[in-house]
Amino acid sequence: MLEVKNLTKSFESPSGKVTALENVNISIKTGEFASIIGKSGSGKSTLLSMLGALDTPTSGSIKVDEVDISKLSASKQTVYRAKKIGFVFQQYNLIPNLSALENVMLALEFGGMASGKRKKRAVQLLEEVGITPDEMLRRPTRLSGGQQQRVSIARALANHPSIILADEPTGNLDSKTGKMIFDMLHSLSRKENTTILAVTHDMDIAGKTDRTFTLKDGKIAV
Amino acid sequence: MNVVTRGIKNAFRSPMRSGAIILMLAISIGLILSMLVARSSVNAKIDQVKSTAGTNITISPAGVFGFAGGGNNLTSTQVDQIVKTSHITSTTATLNDQLASTDTNLTPSLTLGNFGARQARFESNNSSSSTSNGPTSAELASRPAPTPHTTVTGTTNPNSISTNGAKLSITSGATIDGNSTAYVALLGKDLASKNNLIVGKTFTAYGKTFTVNGIYTTGNTFQDSGIIMPLATVQNLSGQPGQVSSVIAKVDSGSNVNASVNSLKSTLGNKADIVSQAQQAEDSVASLQSISSLALASVIGSAIAGAIIILLAMIMIVRERRKEIGVIKAIGGTNKKVMAQFISEALTITVVGSIIGLTLGVLVSGPMTSSLVSSSQNSSSSSQLIARTSGGPGGFIRGGFNRVGSNLTQVTSSITPQVFAISVGITLLIAIVGSAVPSWFIARISPAEVLRTE
Repeated sequence: MLEVKNLTKSFESPSGKVTALENVNISIKTGEFASIIGKSGSGKSTLLSMLGALDTPTSGSIKVDEVDISKLSASKQTVYRAKKIGFVFQQYNLIPNLSALENVMLALEFGGMASGKRKKRAVQLLEEVGITPDEMLRRPTRLSGGQQQRVSIARALANHPSIILADEPTGNLDSKTGKMIFDMLHSLSRKENTTILAVTHDMDIAGKTDRTFTLKDGKIAV
Repeated sequence: MNVVTRGIKNAFRSPMRSGAIILMLAISIGLILSMLVARSSVNAKIDQVKSTAGTNITISPAGVFGFAGGGNNLTSTQVDQIVKTSHITSTTATLNDQLASTDTNLTPSLTLGNFGARQARFESNNSSSSTSNGPTSAELASRPAPTPHTTVTGTTNPNSISTNGAKLSITSGATIDGNSTAYVALLGKDLASKNNLIVGKTFTAYGKTFTVNGIYTTGNTFQDSGIIMPLATVQNLSGQPGQVSSVIAKVDSGSNVNASVNSLKSTLGNKADIVSQAQQAEDSVASLQSISSLALASVIGSAIAGAIIILLAMIMIVRERRKEIGVIKAIGGTNKKVMAQFISEALTITVVGSIIGLTLGVLVSGPMTSSLVSSSQNSSSSSQLIARTSGGPGGFIRGGFNRVGSNLTQVTSSITPQVFAISVGITLLIAIVGSAVPSWFIARISPAEVLRTE
């Protein structure tokens, strides 16, 4: 269960105070596939960074399984990111000099899995997202965009997270591959009972999710 | 794969760049080692020269050098003052004189030669020179040929005549008591041979009959053509009672030499020239001391350069990988883990650079030390040459010092475990500087960096 209450984030900029998010209230049930849509600058990415404990809100609360992550210490937020959150980025953001397998193993290492078990689990995850054994040993630059995003999904799933936060997961992919990635995320949310929150501007994709929130000027539009 | 192996792997992520950084680092580390070796070798030589310098102080009348110059001999009062100076344990007093053919029945064993003839050109007769530069060759030819003199050294210690600082080598007979007033003498090997004199035979000097007590040899032709007599005998017979032309004073310990020199300078004032062996040794190692300082400056410069190279390289790498660091933090990597990975990367570069640099240092330290020492010694060798050619008994004492100077170029460079340990320590310091500052940058990178679009 993800519950966001009165979430506000404001920055000090040279031109004065900028409110990126204002009194945002969202509630997503476990296993739900939700999407956030909005124009550029509407606060989508800011909301995502708050939910992923990459940044702290100015006020309000974010409760994940009854724990307010905005009140956690920096080190506990790191643990939260490692174990409770899976990120999928538009740019894939795989570590360039590590192979696909090593990228997934890295997330398992941060999740605290014993080193002897990591490889088996990583191989299993990569197989689930359709990466062949040959592709597993390749570095990201030698994989296609779709393959990289699948590795990225495998990495996000590594530590059985409560929530997967996806920032424009299909933004860099052609429509066919994008649809395939979307279907993969959709089936995962069903199979693993994982909450997925995807930021997108693709109305087709948003339309297929369980719930859609629209952000406008930092506020949830009804 | 853990943080350490990831760091090692990252160190060679860009082989060209890592190669360039490693090469620059290796050169600076190589320079650190070779300069440390040069410094320690030169310092060892300086210590060796200083420790063997001895504690003697030579006091000669101001303006007198051998048989050249002007000035007055030291008086008995001045000698007493020297003897009473604190820390001076013993003194050897010497009075030099020359015997002309009218003073002795001995035939000098030295021929004047063109050098001696030129020295004697002013004493020949009363005829004035037609030029201010001395007599012309025609004028010299018209004068009666100058005759060489026989040198007499009156000394309280005949061993002081030895040119190598050791005991005087007596080839036959026995030495004389320098403190007696007897008419006894030691004859140089060449003079004895020229006059067919052996131990027990007599000769006349100053109108008195002297007995040959012994024959000595020094290996120096000038010395071996002279006579050694007791000091008081020469003083009395030459009409210079109590006077001496040089005193060698021995100080109780090396640490008191400077104090004794200062004390003597204040009591004797400008009447005497005072030179200590320690001072001469100090002067002769001055050039080595400048090499030592230069080497130290190079060590510091190279260490700073090495630290800056690795520091800038790591800052550049961290800045370049901001987003990657953000990703690692976003997926749960702690600050410690990211730092450990970058420290491992910096250490890998430093270790590889050090291995190449230290090998380079071992190879070049020998030639570099030699070239530093020889180039610095070339400039000072000409002044040593002048000191060696200055003749006369006044130069006897200096003979020993000049050998010190000629040995200065023989600095042996050797890499001691201590020098090697210092080099490794400096390298470690470079690695710490190279890792610590980038770590600070890493800690400040926010995980939200991952969402930054480029």
